[in-house]
Amino acid sequence: MIISDRVKKLREQSLAAPEKLSAERAQLLTRFWKSGAASEMPVPVRRAMAFEYILRHKELFIGDGELIVGERGPAPKETPAYPEICVHSLKDLDILNSREKVSFKVDEETKRTYEDEIIPFWEGRTNRERIMSLMTPEWLEAYKAGIFTEFQEQRAPGHTVLGYKMFRMGFIQLKEEIREALAALDYFNDPEAFDRAGELQAMDIACDAIIMFAHRYSGELARLAGLEKDERRRKELVKMSEVCRRVPAHAPETVHEMLQHYWFIHLGVITELNPWDSFNPGRLDQHLYPVYKKQKEEGTLSDEELYDLLGCFWVKFNNHPSPPKIGVTASESSTYTDFCLINLGGVKSDGTDAVNEMSYILLDVIKEMRILQPSSMVQISRKNPDLFIHKALDIIRTGFGQPSCFNTDAIVQELLRQGKGIEDARNGGASGCVETGAFGTEAYWLTGYFNLPKILEVTLNNGIDRRTGRQVGLQTGFASDYQEFDEIIEAFRRQVKYFADIKIRGNNVIEKIFARWLPVPFLSLLVEDCISNGRDYNDGGARYNTSYIQGVGLGSITDMLTSIKYNIYDNRKFTWDEMNRALDADFNGFEKLRYELIYNTPKFGNDDDYADRQAVTVFEAYYDAVNGRPSARGAVYRINMLPTTSHVYFGSVTCATPDGRKAFTPLSEGISPTQGADSQGPTAVVRSASKIDHLRTGGTLLNQKFSPSFFEDEESYNCLTALIRSYFSLDGHHIQFNVVNAETLREAQKHPELYRDLIVRVAGYSDYFNDLGEDLQNEIILRTEHEDV
Amino acid sequence: MKKGLIFSIKRYSVHDGPGIRVTVFMKGCPLSCWWCHNPEGIAPGVESLLETRKVGDLEFSEPAVVGKYYSVGEILEILKKELVFFRQSGGGVTFSGGEPLLQPEFLKDALMACKDLGVHTAVDTSGFCPWPDLEKILPYTDLFLFDIKHLSDTRHLEHTGVGNGSILQNFRMLIQSGKETMVRFPVIPGINDDQDHLMRLREFLAGTGKGNITRISLLPFHKTGSSKYRKMGLPYRMEDTEPPSAEKMKELKAFFSETGIKVKIGG
Repeated sequence: MIISDRVKKLREQSLAAPEKLSAERAQLLTRFWKSGAASEMPVPVRRAMAFEYILRHKELFIGDGELIVGERGPAPKETPAYPEICVHSLKDLDILNSREKVSFKVDEETKRTYEDEIIPFWEGRTNRERIMSLMTPEWLEAYKAGIFTEFQEQRAPGHTVLGYKMFRMGFIQLKEEIREALAALDYFNDPEAFDRAGELQAMDIACDAIIMFAHRYSGELARLAGLEKDERRRKELVKMSEVCRRVPAHAPETVHEMLQHYWFIHLGVITELNPWDSFNPGRLDQHLYPVYKKQKEEGTLSDEELYDLLGCFWVKFNNHPSPPKIGVTASESSTYTDFCLINLGGVKSDGTDAVNEMSYILLDVIKEMRILQPSSMVQISRKNPDLFIHKALDIIRTGFGQPSCFNTDAIVQELLRQGKGIEDARNGGASGCVETGAFGTEAYWLTGYFNLPKILEVTLNNGIDRRTGRQVGLQTGFASDYQEFDEIIEAFRRQVKYFADIKIRGNNVIEKIFARWLPVPFLSLLVEDCISNGRDYNDGGARYNTSYIQGVGLGSITDMLTSIKYNIYDNRKFTWDEMNRALDADFNGFEKLRYELIYNTPKFGNDDDYADRQAVTVFEAYYDAVNGRPSARGAVYRINMLPTTSHVYFGSVTCATPDGRKAFTPLSEGISPTQGADSQGPTAVVRSASKIDHLRTGGTLLNQKFSPSFFEDEESYNCLTALIRSYFSLDGHHIQFNVVNAETLREAQKHPELYRDLIVRVAGYSDYFNDLGEDLQNEIILRTEHEDV
Repeated sequence: MKKGLIFSIKRYSVHDGPGIRVTVFMKGCPLSCWWCHNPEGIAPGVESLLETRKVGDLEFSEPAVVGKYYSVGEILEILKKELVFFRQSGGGVTFSGGEPLLQPEFLKDALMACKDLGVHTAVDTSGFCPWPDLEKILPYTDLFLFDIKHLSDTRHLEHTGVGNGSILQNFRMLIQSGKETMVRFPVIPGINDDQDHLMRLREFLAGTGKGNITRISLLPFHKTGSSKYRKMGLPYRMEDTEPPSAEKMKELKAFFSETGIKVKIGG
């Protein structure tokens, strides 16, 4: 692919545009709410009317040279706020504006609007306040201690990916489906028929709203075409106007229409609310291929046009950073990225190899565009050809962190185990970081990270938080009370269950809050079977519903338990008294002891069963506490093992640990070994990581840092391909490669100005190295570099 | 069964033969090449040295043992863990050193056991050994990685401590036996990279039944071993030698390609 000047320019503009907070959506919503126009309506209808109001009144944006149109804010990188979820205080706005990392500019007018209109109306009635007021003291205590985080406190549930259906359908057809569902309502036997009617009516309004929004664009494009002097551009504007007239009202018939169709849908979802993680088009190569092929055969699509359209489409994602958080919680996840993870490859719904010409075209686009969003991944099934992996490695080797590699055969089994139909499973993939889902048919919500090492810390301290001295857990005894190692495991199991109960109880309240107060009729249109069920996505309307709690710090807790077993119980190298004094002193004055913990103690990630056994123990304890439990919206609780950046936050609340880790430094990420603890090379890491049962999770994350020397020729490609395939034959879910050398990163830290384009794989996604906090930067540098000497 | 003295076992080894391999470094070598980057593999016995490691800014030293005796069974246990990678990559085990043929009995037993396990086997050798020892392992070795360091007997003696008579003789016999062999030529500036020697070497390789030589690997000299010499208190004679440039290596690659044999820079 050769990037055209048009795409190059749009890409540069997107990279250079400053992130700004826009008050537009918040102001429109406030005005609508204040008007009382819908105050007597059922909640879903009211929300749909608000959605319509925003789309009717928001500013349109059409950039020079753009082929795909539509922005969530008034202009690229201008990010709206969602005051019904949580409202930024004036102090928050100042912090956002001035903070060094991931700043969002807030101009004076926005601040005034907040002060005069938005804050006075929403303060005291946001969903975050509603949630916090309904949580139990135990929940609040554990939350503050950093035992778990809460996904839905500042964002709406989401984590949903568009499936096949919506690439084949227009909203006029959906309105027909809604009519049918309304006609089929059974007021005699179904006590919820009335509620379903309200929901369906809301969905119908949402259909009209998105069509109206596209038509506004169509009109504006036609107007601009009338003013345009340049004949070539004028023709483009006319065509774009026609496209926006047709989609998303009608089913798209060309690649151009498909991309614009999807983009309106994307904007609809992220305007309605701010769902985790941002919506994404899923199996894009599958969706585009038939239309692409048809157009190619007809001769109605040149390569130049195709790449231009795809380039313009790619830029759109990058224009949409994730909405900034409020208060201090920004430190839980300091990133702009909104986790749009495009899936390539895998298998078709009939189980055959899904890699097609479009898979390679899109890999080309990813390579040439080299931007943060959308993120990308390759699904690798044993049915996919090696060439597909080699093409992915071509991009990975450039150190850009994309695409990451996923095991389709594992994903299908994970979904089948959860009870999905075989075709729905094969149509699935991973979204966000590594989360498994059935695309277009499942509402799979992430609900929060779970700090496993902190729970062990509490277990060793009679339920008391070592950092604050507060009683947060069960009083299961102090470390020195445990006569046998197994007693610690037993107590740990009880504490995990205790905190999982607290978390799940909270979740079940929060799910009901969203079902009752924050339905999402537009998103519900897109996920089967919300229409035929007449039920909202936020109320269990989807065909499949899953609630995840994400375990964090597997490598760290494994090393902690291994160290305790090895040094205190099995070999009696130290007593608990010595260990505790060292931990209390954060190893100051106990450096020799720390040396023993680091260098002369078995560690996870080296294919050493002595250590790896503890990973399995922790995994099973966690799995038992969560898996299979019912949720309030009719979902089932499952676990997955991924941290995003929470291992840094969780580390910052966790004191010194028995594996030699200093207080408040990051925990291990995903299921990767503790930073620097793996010394036996990648096959040993892969073997250790595969000892837990990935198929009983909804995703695990394994990060492997490689120096570029592992990618030098075809033989090394073959070895990496074999490494990936081996891990996947052991049921590993996901592996990603960070290709960069530590020296480069240190240089980047010293001279950030010279490394502005440096992208690194953080944990399931990529980010600009310069945008990461110093501790996260240091952690990435520390991750074992498998130098090939 | 005899045990073997081994100083290192490396997993995900990708430069000592095809695919993902485990390289078993056997301790003891009759040669003492000036440029050796594994000096800890030369002495044929267990040694101890001081290992220094850092925790923050503090350094800690403790005695570390170099060399450990493994039974064939223990080697197999390690290989079994890697079978999945061997299968996917077409890899296997490589016995290197030191000089693996300095422990011929153990080597033969180990290779036989590996073949029983269905593992591809390679032996990385200096070729300095009695021919019967080499002959004994032929049936159990799929691939030889054979070092040719210098064609001049006197220069060979000067820089490696032994003459090359038996090495070249073994090399010819090995080629005649029909075994797949990859030649490894360490490119050592100032020692074996003069034009005259290179011409002779090319002629030698082209003339020696090239059908069985499937590759010439040009191994550029590097100094990563120098810290080991310091740690072991040994003199390092290559301090002033600089690694050959990338361009130089490319030239050499083209030069040796004229033999008609595939040439690779690196293993």
